[in-house]
Amino acid sequence: MNDRQLLVRDLLVWFGLTGWALAIPGFGSDFVVSMALTCLMYVALSSSWGLFCGSTRYLSLATSAFFGVGAYTSALMLESAGWVESIALGSLVATAVAVLMGAAVLHLRGTYFAVLTFGMTELIRHAITYFEKSVTGTVGRVLAVVPERDTIYLTVLALASATVLLSIAIRRTRFGLALVGIGADEQRAQTLGVNTRLVKIAGFALTAAVAGAVGAAMSVRWTYIDPQTVFNPFIGFQTVLIALIGGATTLWGPLIAAVVFSLLAETLRLAAPQVYMMTLGLLLILSVLYLPGGLASLRWDTWKGWRDDTRAWWRERRHEWSGRKAREKRLARERRLG
Amino acid sequence: MSFFAWVELIASGLITGGVYALVALGLNLQYGLMRILNIAHGEFLMVGAFLTWWMQSQFGFSPLLMLPVSFGLLMALGLAVHFLCFRRLTVTSPNLDIFEARGLMVAFGLMFLVQNFVSWQWGGDLRGYDYLTDPVRLGGAQFAGNKLLVFGLALAFSLGLIVLLRMTLLGKGVRALMQSPVGAQLVGIDTRRLHPLMFGIGLGLSGVAGCLLSMSYTISPSMGEPYTVTALIVITLGGFGSMGGALAGGLLLGVVEAVGMHYTNPSMKALLSYTVFIAVLLLRPEGLFTRRTRKA
Repeated sequence: MNDRQLLVRDLLVWFGLTGWALAIPGFGSDFVVSMALTCLMYVALSSSWGLFCGSTRYLSLATSAFFGVGAYTSALMLESAGWVESIALGSLVATAVAVLMGAAVLHLRGTYFAVLTFGMTELIRHAITYFEKSVTGTVGRVLAVVPERDTIYLTVLALASATVLLSIAIRRTRFGLALVGIGADEQRAQTLGVNTRLVKIAGFALTAAVAGAVGAAMSVRWTYIDPQTVFNPFIGFQTVLIALIGGATTLWGPLIAAVVFSLLAETLRLAAPQVYMMTLGLLLILSVLYLPGGLASLRWDTWKGWRDDTRAWWRERRHEWSGRKAREKRLARERRLG
Repeated sequence: MSFFAWVELIASGLITGGVYALVALGLNLQYGLMRILNIAHGEFLMVGAFLTWWMQSQFGFSPLLMLPVSFGLLMALGLAVHFLCFRRLTVTSPNLDIFEARGLMVAFGLMFLVQNFVSWQWGGDLRGYDYLTDPVRLGGAQFAGNKLLVFGLALAFSLGLIVLLRMTLLGKGVRALMQSPVGAQLVGIDTRRLHPLMFGIGLGLSGVAGCLLSMSYTISPSMGEPYTVTALIVITLGGFGSMGGALAGGLLLGVVEAVGMHYTNPSMKALLSYTVFIAVLLLRPEGLFTRRTRKA
């Protein structure tokens, strides 16, 4: 397929999925809608994560920081401002935080970057908890004015489909190519005239804008928020996990993985939460070890490769256990000596 | 504040610092040698603590007896984990950067797996037992007997590891591998044997630390994560790969926390340590105690 055909295919898939998701509140029960909402939230979060972190290979664990900042902003603003304004404001504040954070840490690569973004997320969470404890005297806040279920759903749907559309569009622009270039070899990208610092900060801010907006829209779902819930590092981990298991550099990978995970979470979490988390951990390890490209890189050949590997391994074991290997070794030694 | 109150404050800082140092040494061994940033390190500490508690409350084993047992068990676990995960990762990763990122992800997976396994098995409650709780008077200051024991043993194990690395041939091999992996392999140091062994020793040390912690503090399945973060802070303070630095950094962090908490309030503790962590990482990423060497 050439580039144009790919674009048409992606747009058609996007159009179909959006239309289908649009129809869910019409026929689904409350449970289905809430599940779809979680699903859409992770689609938006992990697609936006893949947009920057997937293509540049900067492993950011700060998603929950942006999510939480957005959620807090909208919780504070919702009583005085409108629904759309508070979401826009939440996204704006998260972007501002990302620009500051990015300017400080984006010159570091690899593990340093991952650990620092994690540390800063925790710092923000503890700072807000401390501030609430010692200055305002109450931890958390109750949201009195809450929009209707369908309004929240449609907003998150709009955010998710906009994110996917954005990543369809961005990978065809100069900006997207610059991001991929940084991921392949940062120094070469610099040599070829990419202002890497600016591009990285812009990409990081874009991720944060989406995460902040999603946080702002989802905050009303809880009706009571505190730093423990909205800055939960688990939101960040699960976003990264979904993107990695789906395939961080691909377009549809995070979406597939988000759907799979939401279904898995809803079915397993209520019955046995620990088993769900253990499955998550095991899946993460397995996918890193055996499918580093993610679910989206799964092809017919991958299965065949696994099958051949297993067979070769089994043949080797049989060879060893039957004692033939040891005998051949001994024979070879005797031949050499004699 | 009287002189003896100061002594008690500093000493309590040193006692927690000793445990921090022990945890950090294990993590530092794994990161410095193999570039595995084992974010699940604290979870294995928690496993060590739960094993000790379980054996103590079920069969009445002395916690002191459990020290070598939990070291051995956790070391075996470490060898198994290395064999199952990191061996394959080393073979399949094209370069060190990618290995580091993937190793971090595997460690996250291990963290979920271990933590939830323990809380599934033993429940999420706080646990604890009494051991040597009588106060001991030293001069004018008073300490709980178990805390003194914890401090002494933590220090002994840390110094033991450092001596092992400084004095023996095994330690020489490890240090050579830290300096230059390729050069060490060229002179005949077997990475395929040394890496699993050191990974196992790292986990074994965290098991010992958990065993020690369970003697004087209550334990829960979520106790591991703060220790991982603290260990990360300590090895950034001391410099990645520097053992003496980790020991000094651990003791220093313990004292700073104790004094800082005395002057502000306990809820500042996490804020304080994260601030120190980020400041050090941003300003001196090569560690506080290392001399500035040439920059590549």
